[in-house]
Amino acid sequence: MSQITQLLPLENIILDLDASSKKRVFEHVGLLFENYLGIARSTVFDSLFAREKLGSTGLGQGVAIPHGRIKGLKEATGAFLRLASPVPFDSPDGKPVTILFVLLVPEVATEQHLQILSELAQHFSDRTCREALTEATDARTVRQLFAS
Amino acid sequence: MRIVILGAGQVGASVAESLASENNDITVVDSDQERLAYLQDRLDLRTVAGNAAYPSVLASAGLDDADLLIAVTQSDQTNLVACKVAHSVFNVPARIARLRARDFLDSEKLLAPENFAVDYALCPEQVITEYIARLVDFPEALQVLTFGDGRLVLVGLRAYTGGLLVGSPIREMRGHLPPAIDGRIVAIYRRDGAITPTGETIIEDGDEVFLLAADEHIRAVIGELRRSVEPVRRVMIAGGGNIGHRVAQALESKCQVKLIEVDRRRAEFVATSLKSVLVLHGDATDEELLQQEAIDEMDLFLALTNGDEDNIMGASLAKKMGCKRVVALINRRAYADLVQGGPIDIAISPAQVSIGMLLTYVRHGDVAQVHSLRRGAAEALEIVAHGDAKNSRVVGRRIGELPMIDGAFIAAVVRDLDKSHDVGFLGLAKLKKVGRVLIAHKDVAIQTDDHVIVFCLDKKVVKQVEKLFAVGFHFF
Repeated sequence: MSQITQLLPLENIILDLDASSKKRVFEHVGLLFENYLGIARSTVFDSLFAREKLGSTGLGQGVAIPHGRIKGLKEATGAFLRLASPVPFDSPDGKPVTILFVLLVPEVATEQHLQILSELAQHFSDRTCREALTEATDARTVRQLFAS
Repeated sequence: MRIVILGAGQVGASVAESLASENNDITVVDSDQERLAYLQDRLDLRTVAGNAAYPSVLASAGLDDADLLIAVTQSDQTNLVACKVAHSVFNVPARIARLRARDFLDSEKLLAPENFAVDYALCPEQVITEYIARLVDFPEALQVLTFGDGRLVLVGLRAYTGGLLVGSPIREMRGHLPPAIDGRIVAIYRRDGAITPTGETIIEDGDEVFLLAADEHIRAVIGELRRSVEPVRRVMIAGGGNIGHRVAQALESKCQVKLIEVDRRRAEFVATSLKSVLVLHGDATDEELLQQEAIDEMDLFLALTNGDEDNIMGASLAKKMGCKRVVALINRRAYADLVQGGPIDIAISPAQVSIGMLLTYVRHGDVAQVHSLRRGAAEALEIVAHGDAKNSRVVGRRIGELPMIDGAFIAAVVRDLDKSHDVGFLGLAKLKKVGRVLIAHKDVAIQTDDHVIVFCLDKKVVKQVEKLFAVGFHFF
């Protein structure tokens, strides 16, 4: 199993989420992690927003990898979201975003987290992978795409 | 950015105007349909009529998707409730409230996230008071702005024969100043046109020059441009309203202050609430009254009434009658442009003075301070650099190595601002912020957490500056 699949449980894969803005997406993510890990939703929400203020985590081509450090978190955890309609994200290419991988890490970030980020960036830079993620019909298929 | 503005009064309208011009998605809420219609005719924005404190009204204004709430209605109570609702019901990440009452302003606990959830309390009257107090501290200045918690001062003034540097190229400044003192000329305006200063630029008599230096050095650097001026001792204020009253309060301990108020009751109230200010009941545009009160012996005349016309008339008259320096508060932009360079030395636009702190929430990146300059055409940003050499394009690099942005330059760096040292005596803990000021030279290398002062001569390049300072996506 790759590093990514290890931190991406099936429950954290949301397909065709109805969200009209970056803010709504982050609200949803906060709720997701509150249910899954018991972290207060505002902690996740604030952390993601604060990071985004320093520079967009949009990669271009409709993809973003919002990430943040969370106090008290023991190990890295992630969520995959595909949106029903794209939202503005200040990406370098100016394109709105439909595919997001949210990555939360403990307060002390290590080299491993950077590795996860580059692994994710590698997946997303591959056009066939992006297309497959756009067309996937269930969570299992999405997770499988990150396995290789 | 999606921004919801509550209140279409003077403050709300001017905020909407500044922000609508830069590609933001703006909705304005007010209970007055006419005011909304007036705004909508002139600006590209959406309006919603209704009570700005009601969740249903806020919902229809799109607070669900908003990045920023600016609550600037006339009512402190409405603004507080709106911030609370925005936080608890709509999760709006940043909330600003205009507050006037000291009871609210002074209570940090009341404004905390668990209570009214106000991130920044805007009090335009207070901002203008501080602005004027700095003009009093620098009797030669046309404008005084600060960065890095006051560690760095920008002074705009006119150069006159008698200043060491006048008639000489700027590079000679280094020879006049002791090695420990450094300053920088960031802009020169000659006959209303801007000149880009280089080492070879020769300063002329009458030039309007903007100087930047650490607060302990600024006076030495000012000496380069003109002979020193007597400190401000005698001040006359026209208007005892909210602003005039506050300014009188702030100045009464250091100057001799006279205040003229046209409304008898208000004059009585102001007189009883101030200790050493002489309050006069009368009209500040009355020549005889000004003469009686020895306007020609005044160092500073401040026209701070509610009426632009009265302020312009009063200040012009005071100048003509021999007052050294006159200041007028002018709300209408067209008027401010008109009097620029006329008999009035300094025109203060409340909107422009208060927009800066709001812009720190609108700009991308960790922006500590924004000063809107030249009536909004130019901008000075104080940006906190984050990251390291791997994920930032500025940290770990010398200023000379950074990519050039046409129309923008780095003027100074304030380092270690978050550190403080104990200047207390005998265990009486008293912390003073360190904040080392480095005037920008090409060899200064930027470190993480530095406060970098960037001047954008044209607002159009602000985006590029934000991009330069943005951390790379692999920054955690």
